[in-house]
Amino acid sequence: MNEQEFIANMEELLETDPGSISLATQLDSLEQWDSLAFVSFLAMADSKYGVRVTPTDLRQCKSITDLMKLVEKR
Amino acid sequence: MAIAKVPGVRIAGIASAVPATRVPVTAAAEIFGADIIQKISQNTGIEYRHLTSPGLCTSDLCFVAAKRLLEELRWEPASVEALIFVTQTPDFPHIPATSCTLQMRLGLSRSCAAFDVTLGCSGHVYGLWLAMSLISGSGLSRVLVLAGDVASVLSSPSDRAVSLLFGDAGSATAVEKDVTASPCVFSMGTDGSGWKNLIIPSGMQYARYPRDATTCIRRQAEDNNQRSAEDLFMDGAEVFAFTIREVPPLVNQVLNAAGWKLEEVDDFVFHQANKFMLTHLAKTMKVPLNKVPLSLKEYGNTSSASIPLTITTQLREEISSQSLRLLLVGFGVGYSWGACAVHCGPLVAPPVILVDKSEAWRC
Repeated sequence: MNEQEFIANMEELLETDPGSISLATQLDSLEQWDSLAFVSFLAMADSKYGVRVTPTDLRQCKSITDLMKLVEKR
Repeated sequence: MAIAKVPGVRIAGIASAVPATRVPVTAAAEIFGADIIQKISQNTGIEYRHLTSPGLCTSDLCFVAAKRLLEELRWEPASVEALIFVTQTPDFPHIPATSCTLQMRLGLSRSCAAFDVTLGCSGHVYGLWLAMSLISGSGLSRVLVLAGDVASVLSSPSDRAVSLLFGDAGSATAVEKDVTASPCVFSMGTDGSGWKNLIIPSGMQYARYPRDATTCIRRQAEDNNQRSAEDLFMDGAEVFAFTIREVPPLVNQVLNAAGWKLEEVDDFVFHQANKFMLTHLAKTMKVPLNKVPLSLKEYGNTSSASIPLTITTQLREEISSQSLRLLLVGFGVGYSWGACAVHCGPLVAPPVILVDKSEAWRC
């Protein structure tokens, strides 16, 4: 997994400025991490990483690192 | 999945009708704020919806569509041998079946079979499958499928997951025997484990969660939306996950059974869930977006009417004059899904009809 590429994908998904998030960023500190972003992540995992993330697993995530681990699973 | 090949039947016509009242999603700005509405609207692709008002029922929309369709087809009402009414929003909460009242209102024969089917997003495909099977297997000649919903009234106005999503519409699809028609191929499926994710939990005394004095009280839910147990609940993430899991294999299965290649399909008419979902499906299945007609912008998600409404609003000119290879794909509440590969047209398809409240049934 290319970490920088994943972060860039997340920044695009969240419509935030480049460099504004890191692997350590906590999801509850991000105003943009709302229900639409949640679904957008499911879509991104499917189309960009070929991974079917379940909403149950996604709900457990606390940080950007956790999100990256989900799409690394396979 | 259940696969069915139905020979000797064709779709003779499709009509659809919506309430005349057209409301922009921005009308809810006071509740959610303009920014949130813009964000939701960009995601769903919905800018306007046609909304019903008390007293204008699903059956009224379907009635108007059916009446126009019978006139344009020059079908004698007495020649219709079965009427299938597909809805989750019938005229009466318990009895009688709305299909019986529609038999009377449309002046159909007393020897006409009539029954209701309680399905939503997958409902039109199920209705079509039943109608075609009744003709092919039971020897009937003409069947009407009336599919529609007034789903806009089911949600709490302050639940942003659903309150800007649903529009109201009714439709009529005329199906008839035609020995020269190519077989229609259907694939249907169900996963009841998703029952909780799109549901109105309560509202009736005898039901699973009996109605009481508290079930209609709107409270702050876990997702920060205000809703009661008698309002529609949708877990958008679960429904999205279900869709991307089930719909691509469903499409492949029905294409294989029909012997069609993906690129031979003229149009993929999906249930109009929301634009984000349909765009994602098209992208992952490598379907060009110009083959995915959308009626969301003007009408929203119209539940069981969304497939016929999309055909009559987006494909009307083409399908009136030529035969198209269509893939109809319904999926959602239940979970329930169905797809149909059908050679469709040329057929009778009047423009979408606007229905005023004064046209409601005066019973």
